[in-house]
Amino acid sequence: MALALFHLLIFPGFLFLFVFALAMEFVDRKLYARLQNRVGPPWFQPFADFIKLSAKEDIVPEKADAIMFRLMPVFALAAVVTAFFYIPMWGPQALFSFSGDLIVVIYLLTIPTLTFFLAGWHSTSLFSMIGATRTLTQLFAYEVPLFMAILAPALLANTWSLSAMTVFYDQHPAYAGLNVIGFIVALIALQGKLERVPFDIPEAETEIVGGTFTEYSGRLLALFRLAIDIEAVVGASLIAAVFLPFGFGLGAAGGFVIYVVKVLIIIALLALLRTVLARLRIEQMVIFCWKVVAPAALLQLLINLILSGVLRS
Amino acid sequence: MANVKIPIGPQHPALKEPESFTITLNGETIISMDVRLGYNHRGIEKACEERNYIQAMYLVERVCGICSHSHSTCFIQAVEEIAGLAVPPRAQYIRTIIAELERIHSHLLWLGVAGHEIGFDTLLMYAWRDREAVMDTLAALTGNRVNYGINTIGGVRRDISPEQLAGLLKTMDVLEERTKYYIEVASQEITLIKRLSGVGYLAHEDAVKLGAVGPTARASAVDRDIRRDDPYIAYKDLDFKVITDTHNDVYGRTLVRVGELMQCYNMIRQLVAKIPDGPVTVKAPRKIPAGEAFSRYEAPRGEDVHYVKANGTDKAERVKIRAPTLANLQSVAKMMENNRLADVPIIIAAIDPCFSCTDRMVRIHDAGHGRQETLSWQALHTYSLDWHRKQGIDFKALNAKLSRRMKL
Amino acid sequence: MINANKAKKELAEKFGFDTERISVPRERRVSLEVPYDQFRQVLAHVVNGMEFRHLCTITGLDEGESLAFIYHVAHADGTVLSLKTRVPKTAPVLQTITDIFPDGTSYERELVDLLGARVEGLPAGHRYPLPDNWPAGQYPLRKDWKAEMLDGVYPKNEVKSNG
Repeated sequence: MALALFHLLIFPGFLFLFVFALAMEFVDRKLYARLQNRVGPPWFQPFADFIKLSAKEDIVPEKADAIMFRLMPVFALAAVVTAFFYIPMWGPQALFSFSGDLIVVIYLLTIPTLTFFLAGWHSTSLFSMIGATRTLTQLFAYEVPLFMAILAPALLANTWSLSAMTVFYDQHPAYAGLNVIGFIVALIALQGKLERVPFDIPEAETEIVGGTFTEYSGRLLALFRLAIDIEAVVGASLIAAVFLPFGFGLGAAGGFVIYVVKVLIIIALLALLRTVLARLRIEQMVIFCWKVVAPAALLQLLINLILSGVLRS
Repeated sequence: MANVKIPIGPQHPALKEPESFTITLNGETIISMDVRLGYNHRGIEKACEERNYIQAMYLVERVCGICSHSHSTCFIQAVEEIAGLAVPPRAQYIRTIIAELERIHSHLLWLGVAGHEIGFDTLLMYAWRDREAVMDTLAALTGNRVNYGINTIGGVRRDISPEQLAGLLKTMDVLEERTKYYIEVASQEITLIKRLSGVGYLAHEDAVKLGAVGPTARASAVDRDIRRDDPYIAYKDLDFKVITDTHNDVYGRTLVRVGELMQCYNMIRQLVAKIPDGPVTVKAPRKIPAGEAFSRYEAPRGEDVHYVKANGTDKAERVKIRAPTLANLQSVAKMMENNRLADVPIIIAAIDPCFSCTDRMVRIHDAGHGRQETLSWQALHTYSLDWHRKQGIDFKALNAKLSRRMKL
Repeated sequence: MINANKAKKELAEKFGFDTERISVPRERRVSLEVPYDQFRQVLAHVVNGMEFRHLCTITGLDEGESLAFIYHVAHADGTVLSLKTRVPKTAPVLQTITDIFPDGTSYERELVDLLGARVEGLPAGHRYPLPDNWPAGQYPLRKDWKAEMLDGVYPKNEVKSNG
């Protein structure tokens, strides 16, 4: 019991995730800044931001649905933290696992997006509502390619459990190289999920002010930002577990270092993506996702389908 | 989704100055747009009538923070024409150098803002970093990064040394290299091209009919540039190309501005090579004889127009200013047709709007207390001194100390 | 191509103006004053016949007994023609020129707000550039206007409560 609580709250649970996510936010911001020829923030900036926001007043708009408005950030946070426990990190075995946890993780990672939509919608502000609609429109564009990209490796491993999948690729490392298309698709979809350039359409500052989060302030905004940071880490961990299943045989400390390096690489790739691209329009984003990203994911699925047939025969 | 009215402004992240655009949307598509201007009206035209010409010149320079040299040059050109002053050629060249540096700084500023409006912040950071080189050059030549104050009636207030001219050439080489890189980015970066092409379409006929000016007009193939058509200061001695484009959209406006940057570097090289020796100012009378003059100037944003009427005293009878943005705003409603909400910021930004210029009493508005008073210039001056004194900043003691030190 | 002297000659011939009344202060500048009843006719010819197709701006002047308006129109070759006309201050009524220059709207609104001209046929829209609660009958660019005239008249900003 005590050990379970320690796992949940301290390590690798909430506290670790909190520190790790904010540290990754710093890495992302610093990298983004350096790529843009700026100095960038000091290492404690995300923590300082979090503390400062937490100390500020929460303002709930008069016409907003107060309960939904307050609940949504908590929901978003709970969903991403839960998803984290099912992802294998430094060993091939996740903290919790069961057959089919892959599907659960993908669904848990959809919840934050839905809370963004509901939060924006229940703010009843014009800018929030437009942001909310855009969030949902975008969800339909990247979610299906993301599903397909992550299911394809599972198909090859012939399991619906993330941990079992990692065990499979740990034993057959060569097969992991076959999932490159899926890796790229998953990266693009994750960028869309995190609503960052070029897919930051739901919160495009120059068009709709703060988008979904226009009306949020204080602790509630701090929770939302934390949820997004954790979502980034969880998403990166998921991609790392599915597409980069290497280096599990180095013991706890070595495995941990390799895990952090993998997450760092993915965060760096995402930062690079948002440095070199401009924001797309919503219809351009949807067209891009359906005409380029989805077919690519489909191709990966097809390759793995044929391969798994060959393998098993 | 039914039609929604979205307010862009008076306060909005996309706008750097207060103006109000109300946009009616169906889903994401723009149906119509309504503009309300005037938030920045400062009564400068009236204020010019109450000041002598030198004071008015400095006031006019503050019509705009970016094209300040444009306004002050345009204004004194008219005054000098009425007074019949022959401005020395070296002064004309110095004015032209500052004018072109100002264009470089303004276009680089625009490039950054355009990048920001379409969510391409890297372009903003790069362009503004390079813009610093121009700002530093301007500060070295004139003493100020903006509102240079280099003009005076009858010439310029500072000469440029040969070393400064040599430094200027070096800066141009650096900037030319950087601009070539931006041209490469503009022609290769896919998301940038996707966000800019076909957006804010303004047909050639509409540009002519709606009186568009500057890069906005030239991107719709309107071949109009005051520097060539109605040459002023030293432009008649220069060899340059007027950049036009047939894209008719925001992408075309970008290409025109980047192309103009390349011309600017060339023009500054010519100016440095050709600058004549001689005095930089002639003595100007305090009272300007009765008369009127109409002066045009190709500001970075387009044709700037000043009309001055003198009545024989040291104060102008009437000063009329028409900044380029007012001429271009008429086209914005046309450009918005059939575009999407996401394109609103870049369409507005693409005319390089400067609303302070457009709207031209010191009036205190204390909405919280319902208190309202109009302060005279003198009262405002005293108020400012008192306010600083209350904050513990007393310039009296400092001034005394400084003057004592000067004597020693 | 048209230059200032050619423009002067054409105007003098076409409308029989005394050449003394058409001045050419410098290269590429022509100015001419016409009575208001002839103004529209001259403007139409200048724009359509002589191809001065760009309206630079409209300057309004308070000349004591009357209000004067100068329409600055430019030719593609850089020549600017300043066409001046006057209306009495007691009845400062103008016809809009937005039928010829659709971009003249904001320049005409300025005349309305700042000088108190009445422009007939001006398309409906927001006023420009003064605020909506500016007191009626106060025209800042008239010579007799002083900032003190706003004391006590300029309406206080009401703070509206929400809901």
